[in-house]
Amino acid sequence: MVDLVRTRGERLARRASGRGPVREFLTFVLGSDVFGVELARVKEILSPPPITPVPRAPSEVVGVCSVRGLLVTVVDLRIRLKLEVRPDTRRTRILLATASSGEAVGLWVDEVLQVVRLAETDMELATAGIGTEVSEYVLGVGRPQGEFIVLLDLSALVTG
Amino acid sequence: MADPTEKARDEFLSEAQEIVETLSRNLLDLDASARSGAVDPALINEAFRAVHTLKGLAGLFGAQRLGQMSHRLEDLLDDLRLGRMTLGPDVLDTLFAAVDVYGRLLAQEREGRDDPSPAADELLARLEKLGSEAPSRAAPATEYDLDPSLLAVLTEYEEHRLRANLEQKMRLYRLRVEFDLTTIDKALEDMKARAKRHGEIITYLPAGEATSADAIELDLLMASRDDLATLIGALGADNVVIEEIPRKRTSVGTAPPHKPYAGDLVVRADESVRPSVHGDASLEQGPSLRSLTQTVRVDIRKLDALMNVVGELAIVRGSIARMAERLRAEGQRQLTAELQRLHRSFERRLAEMQAGILEVRMVPLGQVFDRLARVVRQIGREMSKEIRLVITGSETEIDKLIVEELSDPLMHMIRNAIDHGIEPSNLRAEVGKPPAGTIALNAYQKGNHVMIEVEDDGRGIDEQAVLEKAVRLGKIAAEDGAELSREEVLALVFLPGVSTREAVSETSGRGVGMDIVKTNIGRLGGIIDVQSEPGIGTKMTITLPITLAIVSALMVHIADQVFAIPLSTVSEALSLEPGLSRMLDGREVITLRGATLPLCRLDRVLGLERRKTPAPRKHYVVVVSLGNRRLGVVVDHLIGQQDIVIKPLGRSLASVRGFAGATELGDQRVGLVLDAAAIVDEVLSGADVLRERGALHG
Repeated sequence: MVDLVRTRGERLARRASGRGPVREFLTFVLGSDVFGVELARVKEILSPPPITPVPRAPSEVVGVCSVRGLLVTVVDLRIRLKLEVRPDTRRTRILLATASSGEAVGLWVDEVLQVVRLAETDMELATAGIGTEVSEYVLGVGRPQGEFIVLLDLSALVTG
Repeated sequence: MADPTEKARDEFLSEAQEIVETLSRNLLDLDASARSGAVDPALINEAFRAVHTLKGLAGLFGAQRLGQMSHRLEDLLDDLRLGRMTLGPDVLDTLFAAVDVYGRLLAQEREGRDDPSPAADELLARLEKLGSEAPSRAAPATEYDLDPSLLAVLTEYEEHRLRANLEQKMRLYRLRVEFDLTTIDKALEDMKARAKRHGEIITYLPAGEATSADAIELDLLMASRDDLATLIGALGADNVVIEEIPRKRTSVGTAPPHKPYAGDLVVRADESVRPSVHGDASLEQGPSLRSLTQTVRVDIRKLDALMNVVGELAIVRGSIARMAERLRAEGQRQLTAELQRLHRSFERRLAEMQAGILEVRMVPLGQVFDRLARVVRQIGREMSKEIRLVITGSETEIDKLIVEELSDPLMHMIRNAIDHGIEPSNLRAEVGKPPAGTIALNAYQKGNHVMIEVEDDGRGIDEQAVLEKAVRLGKIAAEDGAELSREEVLALVFLPGVSTREAVSETSGRGVGMDIVKTNIGRLGGIIDVQSEPGIGTKMTITLPITLAIVSALMVHIADQVFAIPLSTVSEALSLEPGLSRMLDGREVITLRGATLPLCRLDRVLGLERRKTPAPRKHYVVVVSLGNRRLGVVVDHLIGQQDIVIKPLGRSLASVRGFAGATELGDQRVGLVLDAAAIVDEVLSGADVLRERGALHG
């Protein structure tokens, strides 16, 4: 799965238009928008294993699951980012990342798309001016070949 | 972690820690032997060697303050072992203080801090002062009738021991012993051990020619109170010849001519390091290069990782069992049988492996008891109370992680017992108790638990005072207080603000309340109970699980979800027929064997939704008991008992109360482990009732 995404990303990267140092982002769908996080921070992409809900947990926590013996806290990014929540599909995935506290966090996303390589000129980094509730998680926006990707700050997402 | 210097540093710190602990034990023995009036020189030597090794380690790792202190301490111990100074209480105090300072300095080293340490500076000043008080080197003894060539080769230490023995009117003996070269180390140690009961071996030197090339003869100079016949009876053997050295006139001459008394067997240069000389390096070259110990130090996290692997293998085992089941359903008889055989063998090996890893994690409680013995001595002196500490069961083994967390609570309990339990000696005399108060520290294993008792023979807890205090603090209503049983009143000492201290006297003391002790013990999955008889004493009993790595749990079903309740907190389980419970003060209760048991509907308390199946008509009650408090947890079904590995929930769930962690259930699923202590606390404090009435959101 990861390999497939990588090859697709590499194909796209060959067509990268901009100039300057290049960063790799994994893009995915949440609600009806496309988002991206830095690829290097994503450890694994998983099909959702059985998840055990944790009573009394914040509403954005879907529950806990086990990935080869590792206990993972699964967070629904759509709730964190105040987006529309659609029913799960067979495309639903979990992005596995490690928080600075060492906690293994799984990010629940609607669909994983591909890896894109963005040159500096393809990105617009966020300024403090956006002013929405979720701006603390937003790194900026990417515009590869006319597309629009909201780039998220993974470290802010998994520690919050 | 991969950094080799970092690793070596960790090694250094843990080795230094071990040496300090040994030193501490050693000082306690020394303290005891000093009080009995006869200081065992071997103990001073051991302490000296420990400090010397620490000095070396500190130098190697550039730990300056540690090195400086060890150096001074080494001088002091050298003065002691050479008899330039006597071992008085002030010297012992300084030595004990040094152990504390070592602990602090090591902690600083570990954190890489280099703060000023007033305690270390003060200790250095004390050591300096003691050192300057020591008289200069004693005049060499010339009065005894021994061969001058022998005297010439005695080290200062040996000379001191010889003098000390002669002062005590000991007789001198010469033991000529033939040793086999291959076994000389061990044989010599055996000899010394056997001789110790009768006196002291002052020195040993090579004697004349041996009977064969593989043997060597040593002359042992021994001082003893016993007569020749006794010694021959105790130490005599084919290879041992014992003669008494007459007191008056030198008779060493009667021995065969000792050509070189200062033979090359005796390595003088490092005498100060190893008072027991092991012999020429060439004699023991082979064995000496090998490490003497067979042990390795292991980071406990590595054991945790191994335990996780075992947990995963248990899941593999479950899959194999399911596969065998499927094959059988498909009629594959032969394959099924083979797979089941494999499964059984796998299961057995896995159980062995799990037991093996658990065993490695176990350490004797003596590790923490030794530290406590030091504390008892110190507190006793601070409060001018004479305390006799009686320890039993220090060999009882428990999980290393638990041992680490135990020392603070136990220390606090002991401090309490000395401060508030044990009466001043004049009061003890009035009631006919011996002047020295006794604190007993007992440990023993009971099933899957380890019990630790801290018992004192002091005045006991004043129940009336405890009750008044609890009422004054608003912990209980005065009219309720009157109905409490004795046990319930005593249990009040674990409430915040009510402690044995405030209850017994208003004198200022140090330390935190018993509620912290209880919380700390609870965090380890343990419980604490108190018993007390006025005028006779108090006994606190801690019940702990043997290990935290794997616990037995009762698996239950509530609203389609599986939960694990640690079995250490479960006292029984029973079925609950509808209509059996009644309401009392807004709380559902049942009567169990004549006592009222409050119930807790876990589905409501946890806010579980019943999506798939409705609540069953008949429920089960799992009776959870923590110390004196009991709660009936209502569940849908009992699944059974299972050994589980508890994994802590992540940081983002830290605020969620009621769960001790999660565990793998075997079918890729995860079950939550209930934190019985938190739930009992929450429910019995009434938070659940408030929540149901809508007064509290959470």
